[in-house]
Amino acid sequence: MSRRSLVSLVLIVAAAAGLLAASLVVGNRPLLGLDLKGGVEVVLVPVDDPDRPVAITEGDLDTAVDIIRDRIDGLGVAEPDVTRQGGRVVVQLPGISDQQRAIDVVGQTAELRFRPVCAELPVVTFDSEVELPQTELPDPDLDDRGLAPCPSGIDYISLDTSTPAEDVLERFVVLPERDDNGEVVTRYLLGPSTLTGAGLSSADSSFRGEFVVDATFKGGDQGADKFDEIAVECYSGTPYCPPGVAGLGQLAVVVDGSVQSAPSVQSPNFDGRVVISGNFSEQEADDLALVLRYGALPIEFQDPTDPQSDSTSRAVSATIGGDSLRAGIIAGIVGLALVFLYMVGMYRLLGLVAMLSLGVSATLLWVIVAWLGETQDLALTLAGVTGLIVAIGVSLDSNVVYFEHLKEDVATGRMLRSSLEQSFLAAFRTIFRANFASLIAAVILYWLSAGSVRGFALMLGLASVLDLVATYFFLRPCAQLMARSPSLMAHPHRLGLPTREEAMSAGVEPS
Amino acid sequence: MSRLQRLWRNQTQVDFPELWKTTLKVSAALILISAIALLVRGVNLGIEFEGGTVWEASAPDVSTADVRDALRGVGQADAKIQFVGGDVLRVRAELDATDASSVAEVSMALANLTGQSLDDISFNSISASWGSEITSKAIRALIVFFIVVAIYITLTLEWRMALAALVAVAHDIVITVGIYALFQFEVTPATVIAFLTIMGYSLYDTLVVFDKNRDYQRRSALVGRATYTRIMNSALNTVLLRSVNTTITSVLPVLSMLVIGTLVLGAVTLAEFAVALLIGLLVGTYSSLFVAAPAAAWMKERQPEFVEQRERLEARAQSRGATVQDVEEVAVGPSSPAPAPSADRPTRRPSQPGTAIPPRPRKRKRR
Repeated sequence: MSRRSLVSLVLIVAAAAGLLAASLVVGNRPLLGLDLKGGVEVVLVPVDDPDRPVAITEGDLDTAVDIIRDRIDGLGVAEPDVTRQGGRVVVQLPGISDQQRAIDVVGQTAELRFRPVCAELPVVTFDSEVELPQTELPDPDLDDRGLAPCPSGIDYISLDTSTPAEDVLERFVVLPERDDNGEVVTRYLLGPSTLTGAGLSSADSSFRGEFVVDATFKGGDQGADKFDEIAVECYSGTPYCPPGVAGLGQLAVVVDGSVQSAPSVQSPNFDGRVVISGNFSEQEADDLALVLRYGALPIEFQDPTDPQSDSTSRAVSATIGGDSLRAGIIAGIVGLALVFLYMVGMYRLLGLVAMLSLGVSATLLWVIVAWLGETQDLALTLAGVTGLIVAIGVSLDSNVVYFEHLKEDVATGRMLRSSLEQSFLAAFRTIFRANFASLIAAVILYWLSAGSVRGFALMLGLASVLDLVATYFFLRPCAQLMARSPSLMAHPHRLGLPTREEAMSAGVEPS
Repeated sequence: MSRLQRLWRNQTQVDFPELWKTTLKVSAALILISAIALLVRGVNLGIEFEGGTVWEASAPDVSTADVRDALRGVGQADAKIQFVGGDVLRVRAELDATDASSVAEVSMALANLTGQSLDDISFNSISASWGSEITSKAIRALIVFFIVVAIYITLTLEWRMALAALVAVAHDIVITVGIYALFQFEVTPATVIAFLTIMGYSLYDTLVVFDKNRDYQRRSALVGRATYTRIMNSALNTVLLRSVNTTITSVLPVLSMLVIGTLVLGAVTLAEFAVALLIGLLVGTYSSLFVAAPAAAWMKERQPEFVEQRERLEARAQSRGATVQDVEEVAVGPSSPAPAPSADRPTRRPSQPGTAIPPRPRKRKRR
């Protein structure tokens, strides 16, 4: 018993210390939220398009704000601040390192389209000495489905990449596919189609031997049926969607004038459920799913990476001043000190153990929050920090429940030594039930909600689990070791407990 | 023995059922006030929910504290102050952009502060940053959460306890939100998180109390000897110190945040947030003892098993010419003298003084 408790104690302390050291060495730090540390802001100004039939309304901008907020929520638990300020959309993101990625995610503004692939074209370079004959793309011969057979009898290789103005849904276009650095890797001649992101209902990445994207289309003729109309042509390799390298027609996913992916169509009938595979890395699959989900913005914004445009990206300062942050930290330290005094005054040595137990769970929590900050963009806001302060109280409660149970057992005439373990088991059942309810709350809130509520749920869940871990693997072995000490057992006052005699005689005194 | 000593030894003899009569009235009054405040005044939603006005001005040599002081003069001390790209000051305040005179007041204050003309201060309307979608998703999540937690408590304890616990959580949320409405504190996303924290805390606290109660209900010493309310009363007395201690350890950090954050260093943002948490934590502990417990007891007393027990106890009391109260005291409380042994009841060793429950027989344990 004693050896096992000693091992458990050493293991948990070593684990906490080791993880903390590793976390510090790797340089993981909690990502502070916009309110505490500031971050990056991307200002998006709509493209001033004189040809736009209706002027941009506030409603359009608000829709864009909602979509952008969704996109960023889709990336993790960073708490963005997305607002419409006058005629601009202002997106603020915590964490400076995210600047380029922020622009990437925020900047994808065009409509999502699905087009059949007519042909794959080489990357044309213009320093060729031989002047290639230019060939114009013919106007498509649209049928009532909005599809057209691919042009024949023209020199595909000499086709130029279409300009944004030529990139119209009802026309043939030549569009590039780019790699991560923006270099064109290949180009495609694409047919017309009327299937857009509006037909999609959901998309998510998953792992099935390789990373794939599962896309689900809405039922009816704007979604699943329309997809199947094109799929039939591609699967059979008709002139509408001639066979590609794999012997099957391909369907290109086009965003912002770039082909994101051009998968082969491997069935004539999908019934709305499409799996896109293509040697994706996890990140690529995630990004494609994200683009599919939130592809369409109602307005086009100027490119923030273009120095000529009105859109910009800049660093922003914290919204809560350093004074508030400092006050909060001082308050936290003072509060903790008061709690320490109270616990030690009330429970003596047991109180000290409780504070150490709190130290263990707090260390583990710091490590996890720092790690999630690095990997998942979990931002620690003022609300999050305060939630953690409340978590301190709840965490200490586990100890209090145990100590009071102990006191009650001793008061009913039990031997202290046996009570230490028996009470723990009884108290742990209570602690487990109560924490499990908090955990249920956390999981449901995390799973179903969005924005800062999600960040809160994560903290609540972590605090509940760590409370159980610290109680079971730290507090319990500590109690077991105390039970081995004859001098402690002889002086229950050092544990904040009444002696047996006091307990037995107490009630006889007149009250 | 002093009251505190009794409390320290879990030997209090608080008559909870008697207290409940008062506290239920207090709770009812608080809920009524909260409901009226909510209906009449409504909650004061912050800029994150309602939008407002944003000002921008070039201000290379100004500190946040200077801006805060200048804004306090025009009643906008809680505005969000931010520096963009290093030297552009941006102020966001919950002020309707069409309210020209108030907007001009702030513009004037900023112009004076930065030493520029009024024309150099730009302002614009700003939309809400807390999407309505976040609210609807959160509400949906809460409904699912309530259902699942009800099922969970029903499985581990029983449905009456589940209902009582949810009543207590609802009580806490209504009162906390009601206080926000009454004093027109600004509701920010951080406040919403505080409300959720309170909800979690209240539920946790109630479960600890109920668990202790179930423990007592199972103890053989009480089976058949006391009404449900009396069993609950004993359990609450034992758990009282734990509730007091937990409340103190939870409240101390929040209280220090309120005092230091507000009075000493003048950090406005922390203040209202700490107030929300403080009220919530206190109400959360209170409701476990004084809302959830009586609600559970009320429902249990209507369960046939306990009705029967109560009637049996009453009948037995009448046969000895005592009142029900006396019988209950005999069964649970050590304060009244033990009754004379009677034929229908085996002589009982006087119960352990000071505690409600006689000691369990010690089991022989292997070493």
